[in-house]
Amino acid sequence: MAYFLELLVNGALTGLMYSLVALGIVLIYKSSGVPNLAQGAMVMLGAYAVWLMASWDVPIYLAVVLGAILMFAFGLLAERLLLRKMVGQPIIMIVMLTLGLEIFLRGFAPGFLGAAPKQIDLGLGLAPIILGDVFINRAYLVGGVIALLLIAASLLFFRTHIGTKLRAVSDDHVSSWSVGISVERAIGISWGLAGLTAVAAGVLWGSVQGVDWTLSALLFPAVAVVILGGLDSILGVFLAGLIVGILGSVVPGYLDQLAGGGTRDVVTSLIILLTIMFRPHGMFGREDIERV
Amino acid sequence: MKRTLKKAAMTAALAVLVGAAPVQAQKEPIKFGLLQDFTAVYTFVTSGYNQGQRDYLTLVNEMGGIDGHPIEVTVVDTGNQPQRGIEAYNRVRRDGAILVDFLSTPVANAMVNRVLEDEVVMLTVMHGRGDASDGETFPFVFPLMAHYWSQAALLVEYIDLYEGGIEGKKIAHVHIDSPFGREPIPVLQELAKQKGFTLRTFPYASPGNEQSATWTEVRRFRPDHVFIWGAGGGQAVSVREAIRNGISPDKILSVVWLAESDMHNVGADIAKGVKRFEATVTGTDTPILQEIMEKVVKAGKSAGDAKEVGNTYYNIGVASMAITVEGARLALKEFGAPLTGDKLRRGIEMIKDFDAQGLIPPVSYSSKDHQGGGFGRVSQWNGKSWEPVSDWHNAYQDLVWEKIRQEAAEFKKGR
Repeated sequence: MAYFLELLVNGALTGLMYSLVALGIVLIYKSSGVPNLAQGAMVMLGAYAVWLMASWDVPIYLAVVLGAILMFAFGLLAERLLLRKMVGQPIIMIVMLTLGLEIFLRGFAPGFLGAAPKQIDLGLGLAPIILGDVFINRAYLVGGVIALLLIAASLLFFRTHIGTKLRAVSDDHVSSWSVGISVERAIGISWGLAGLTAVAAGVLWGSVQGVDWTLSALLFPAVAVVILGGLDSILGVFLAGLIVGILGSVVPGYLDQLAGGGTRDVVTSLIILLTIMFRPHGMFGREDIERV
Repeated sequence: MKRTLKKAAMTAALAVLVGAAPVQAQKEPIKFGLLQDFTAVYTFVTSGYNQGQRDYLTLVNEMGGIDGHPIEVTVVDTGNQPQRGIEAYNRVRRDGAILVDFLSTPVANAMVNRVLEDEVVMLTVMHGRGDASDGETFPFVFPLMAHYWSQAALLVEYIDLYEGGIEGKKIAHVHIDSPFGREPIPVLQELAKQKGFTLRTFPYASPGNEQSATWTEVRRFRPDHVFIWGAGGGQAVSVREAIRNGISPDKILSVVWLAESDMHNVGADIAKGVKRFEATVTGTDTPILQEIMEKVVKAGKSAGDAKEVGNTYYNIGVASMAITVEGARLALKEFGAPLTGDKLRRGIEMIKDFDAQGLIPPVSYSSKDHQGGGFGRVSQWNGKSWEPVSDWHNAYQDLVWEKIRQEAAEFKKGR
């Protein structure tokens, strides 16, 4: 029982940390309708930015704040220089553009800043929190709490004045323009916010595994989270993160020994496949009906 | 005076090594292709390894080349993709390269048949096929150093000799879920039978950034020792998770892919005690590294960051080229110029008891053995650097070679 509980708790916390990566994808999709496949690389870039400043002896928490500002600016810039030029283009081309950005960043950051894994020390230590026979990973606990806070903040943000404008933009670009909302600015802000969440995810994951290109591989579980939760649902990100994390922990915990390994990726892939087949808009995503 | 004499002695030793006085090389160049993965999976090792290779070759050229022949190097990024590796290979082959090093198992494996046909030497240092140690089946493929089967065997023997015996103990093999991670399992299983220890394997999903479920299971197994078999960032995660789950760092033993940067990632002090297989000396105290510091790094000719010089992967790169250059020197002496892939192969096979002035254990090659005996040692992280805790030796090579021959025979059947 303790074994199951430990898998469950650590899986849930890991899932919340996946949610943090997925949140950036949802924020952009919610305002612009673009599934951003560069979010994994943005997470990596955010971690590199914080590591770089920490390596210049900037105190780590100040480095995180500066990294967040930089990545917000990066998000704005990405929208201004790349996305805005794609207005009117087929969505598939915009998706390909984000894929291109992902590949570019994955080569660029390690190429210029060094490919060997780098350290981000948040001072959390390695000692687990021990409850009975259950060891809870301290880093994941902190990550999970921060993910929860950011998810809650995102939910609240969409109730603010700017958030309402973003929702309007996500509903209909033309109508938003017609009532004087700057669609470009709204989309830019959503990219900036995705940059902020990328820093949070990058720093937390980077403190667990080190900073290198493999941070961009977090895109895969994050995609599973957004597909299951719904591409435009922040609440979906939270619940789907928990499900993906728990299944990705509990199932391999019991089946890896029998199957000889590899079941976590199978679980994640199955989540993606089954959701697309049986509920394409995910658990909480908006189902748009279009005349074709 | 003492220092000058020491410097002069080192210069002379290196001049003997490359077979030339320190004069400008003028003869026909010898061409090598370092077609490696700088941007995908092997990024954790490529920059240091490649820098070590190029710095050593720069040193050789500074010293007059190999018997007056300068070495020309082409460096290409393959991104770990076989098709890009093939393209790059075709290009350097057309330009006359007689040696290639892909530092990527997928690319190297895809190129085996091609290099055998073209008679181009392919280095597979710490990657590629384990059975390529069989020189009779793979005459142009050279692992040069202990492959994974030899490394696993040596770690088992280390526990047996230095950690109070292995009989009755529980060993957890925690590995990345890939052919590389699974590769040592058959050898470990056979050794478990022979030596009477319990082996259990624990895979984790690639690239290894999340391993918590795996280590919960490992903790419940209550192992006496843990082997970690991964690479890059996944290795730091393994060490962290092991410590977090109450496993003492000195009970953790790693495959060769565990470097200084991984220890700093974990926390240099926290990781104190972790052990690993080591193929070369680390640091800059050996004569070749001193020469590199003096003639390449200080002269501003290093191919990368000076901080990398002497690190684990840098030194493996230096060693790979030191062995190759020694083979080329022997080949030129025995068979004369121009050097071809076939002559270089035979030159490397002539190397006997070569230790690159203390950088590596004494290695010998032959037409049968392209691994060089499977030597290595165990070193331990002391909070600042790796300290050797065993002598250079090899282990259970009869068992390792049984496996090599068995796999090589399968390859022959498939050709």
